[in-house]
Amino acid sequence: MDAASRPAVVIDNGTGYTKMGFAGNVEPCFIIPTVVAVNESFSNQSRTSGKGNWLAQHSAGVMADLDFFIGEEALSRSRASSTYNLSYPIHYGQVENWDAMERFWQQCIFNYLRCDPEDHYFLLTESPLTAPETREYTGEIMFETFNVPGLYIAVQPVLALAAGYTTSKCEMTGVVVDVGDGATHVVPVADGYVIGSSIKSIPITGKDVTQFIQQLLRERGEHIPPEDSLEVARKVKEMYGYTCADIVKEFNKHDREPSKYIKQWTGVKPKTRASYSCDIGYERFLGPEIFFNPEIYTSNFTTPLPAVIDKCIQSSPIDTRRALYKNIVLSGGSTMFKDFHRRLQRDLKKIVDTRVSASASRVGGEIKSQPIEVSVVSHPIQRYAVWFGGSVLASTAEFYGACHTKAEYEEYGASICRTNPVFKGMY
Amino acid sequence: MILLQSPSRFLLQILQDRVLSPDKGVDIDCQTVEFDDVRYHIQFSTRNPKVMVLSVALPVPPPEAVLYDGLPFGAIEAIKMAYGQAVQILDPPKDGFDLTMKINLKKLPSDEEQRNALLVKIASVREVVLGAPLKVLLKYLATKTVAPDVDQLVALVHRPNESFFLVPQADKVTVVYPMRFQDSTDIVLATSFLQEFVEARRTAALNNAPSCMWSAAPPLELTGAPPETLTANAGFVTFVVFPRHVEGKKLDKTVWSLLTFHAYVSYHVKCSEGFMHTRMRRRVESLIQALDRAKPDAEKKKFVQGKSFKKLSLKETSYT
Repeated sequence: MDAASRPAVVIDNGTGYTKMGFAGNVEPCFIIPTVVAVNESFSNQSRTSGKGNWLAQHSAGVMADLDFFIGEEALSRSRASSTYNLSYPIHYGQVENWDAMERFWQQCIFNYLRCDPEDHYFLLTESPLTAPETREYTGEIMFETFNVPGLYIAVQPVLALAAGYTTSKCEMTGVVVDVGDGATHVVPVADGYVIGSSIKSIPITGKDVTQFIQQLLRERGEHIPPEDSLEVARKVKEMYGYTCADIVKEFNKHDREPSKYIKQWTGVKPKTRASYSCDIGYERFLGPEIFFNPEIYTSNFTTPLPAVIDKCIQSSPIDTRRALYKNIVLSGGSTMFKDFHRRLQRDLKKIVDTRVSASASRVGGEIKSQPIEVSVVSHPIQRYAVWFGGSVLASTAEFYGACHTKAEYEEYGASICRTNPVFKGMY
Repeated sequence: MILLQSPSRFLLQILQDRVLSPDKGVDIDCQTVEFDDVRYHIQFSTRNPKVMVLSVALPVPPPEAVLYDGLPFGAIEAIKMAYGQAVQILDPPKDGFDLTMKINLKKLPSDEEQRNALLVKIASVREVVLGAPLKVLLKYLATKTVAPDVDQLVALVHRPNESFFLVPQADKVTVVYPMRFQDSTDIVLATSFLQEFVEARRTAALNNAPSCMWSAAPPLELTGAPPETLTANAGFVTFVVFPRHVEGKKLDKTVWSLLTFHAYVSYHVKCSEGFMHTRMRRRVESLIQALDRAKPDAEKKKFVQGKSFKKLSLKETSYT
C-alpha cells in the first residue's frame, strides 16, 4: 500500500486554533489552541554537564526535548504549575517561533492524529501574505524532520472558497473575508487564482473582539479574577456574541427587557476555588460591532469592514467585479457571530447602491445600468471552512499530482516550495 | 510524552462526547488512520444516536504470522472478555475492514469511573485485538508454563508485511524485532538510538527492566525463521521478558509496549531530528551574533542607523 492510497493529513494552523484531520472527512478530528507549553528548566542547562544532566533528567522523570505539551493540555499545565512557559508559535497568521512550531507539528502528528508521517501526504495552509522563505522553511521541516512523501501548501482563502465546492456548483471566483483570531484578510480570488495586488488586511481581529469585551467588563466593574478575565472574555465572545442591526435600538432593547438579554456567567476562581458570577450585557453585541464601527475600539484604524471589502473589489480587475460582489465568502471563527453575514451584506449593499445611484444621476438617467447583485455567503462550517476546503481538495485524485514530492525535494531542495501556483494568475 | 498511549485520542473524544451529551442526534461518518496502517471507520446514525458502529482494519499480515480467520489468534475472546455485553461483533465485517463492532452506549455501566474505564478500553481496541495472541502467550509465562501446541518460534504481526518473533519458554519469553527503516538518515539515527537504548538499560535504576540486546546480524533464536524476514537495515533488537514483567496489571502495559516497539523507535527518531534542528537553529543564531560582533564599528553604525550607502560615500569623497 503506497502513501497515495491512504487519506492525506490536512492541518490548518491558525493563530488561535489549529484544525487537523484526515482528508475525506467532514469535520476535523481535533480543534485545539495553537499553543505550546515548554519546560525550560532542563533544556537551558549547559551541555558540558553531560552525563550528570542525563541522570538528573532521568531521576526527575523527564526528557528535556519531550517535556512539553500542546493545546488544551498546555493551557491547563501552565495554569497548574509555573515550570511550563506558554509560547504561541503563530503571530498574526505568520509562524514566528519555528522551534515551537516544529514541536507543535510533532505532537499533532504523533500524539493527536497518531499517524506515521511517512505514510501520508500532507496538506498545510498558509495565509495569503506569507513570505516565500516561510514556505521554504515549512517544506524543509516537513521533508527533513518528518519525511513526508508529499506536501502541498495551500492558501487559506482559496480553500475557504473550495469549501463551497460541490459537484453542481464549482464557483472559484469570490471574495474571501477571513476573520481569524490573529489576522483579518479580504482576499479576492478569480478562477482559483489570488489577485495578489488587491488583498486588503485590517488590524481588527478576533483577538481584538476579546480584548474589547474584556475592557468593557472591567470598566463596568464586574467581579472577575484578573488572571481569568481574558479567558472569560473569550468564552463570552464565543457563546453569547451576536451582531445587531442598529446599535441604538439594541441598547434600548436591552434597557427595556434586561431579563431577556442580560446573561449570567458563573465561574470558579482558579486559586481559591470560590465561585463567582457576573452579568453580560451590552458587550454581547458591542464586541462584534468593532468590525462595523472600529472607532468605538481604536482611533488608529477607522474604516469599517464593509468599506474595506468594497475598496478591495473596486481595486480588482473590472471584469471580475460583478462576480466578486456576487460571492463574498466568510471564513474563520470570528465570522461566526449570529447575523454577521446579514449585517455585512446590508452595509455593503448600501455602499454599492449609493455609488450606482450617484453615477446614474451623473449621466442623467439616459443609461440604465444592470443592478449589481451583492451576496454574502455563510455556511454552517464557517469555523473550519478552510480545513474543510482542504479536506475536499485533498480527497480529489488530482491532489497527489499537485504535491511536492520527497523525490523532488531531494533533487532540487527546499526551493520547490518557494512559489505557490495560485499567485501566478493572469493578474 | 515519552511513551505512545494505548487509547486512540480521537475515538475516546468521540465516545466521551456522545456519552456526555444526552441526545445529540448528529450523523457521524468518519475514517481515520493510525500508524502501521490500522484504520478505523466510525459511524453514528440519527436513528440510533446511542449505537456506534466501529470497523477496524488491521495491517496486512506477513505470510509467516500466526492468524486465525482474518483476525489475530484469540482476538474474539479478548474482545468479549474486555467489553462484556456493551459490544457486539458483527459478522461478516464491513467491506474492506477486518472487524466490525456495534457498541451500545446505553449498556455502559452507570458508575462514572467504571464507565470511563470501559470507554478507554474501547478506545484501545487496537491493543485488545492485535495484542490478543501476545497476551495469551504472556499469560502462560505468568504461570510459568508453556502454551500447548505452540511452535518453537512464533511470528506475530507487527507492521504491514512485517512480523516480530517470540520464543516462548517456561521461565522466559524472548522477543526479537527486526528493525527496518526507509530513509537513510533514519537508519543511522535508529541504529545509534537502539545502541544507546541497550546502554541505558545497564544503569542501576533500570535493573528490573527486561534485558535488552542489539545486534546487526540476526540472533541465534531466529534460526528457523524464513530467510526473507532476516534482513533488517537497522539491526535486530532482543528483549527477554521474565514472569515478573507480566504479573497482574503489568501485563497490559507490557503487551502494548511490545506491540508498538517500532512505532516507539520511529517516534523517537523523529523527535531527536526535531531536537537537533532546534539545536542547529540556536547555533546558527549564536554564530550570526558572533559575526555581528566582529564587524568594524563603522559598518555596525550603518546597519543600526540605516544610512544609505550613497550618503556615506559622498561624505568620504569630500574628505579626500
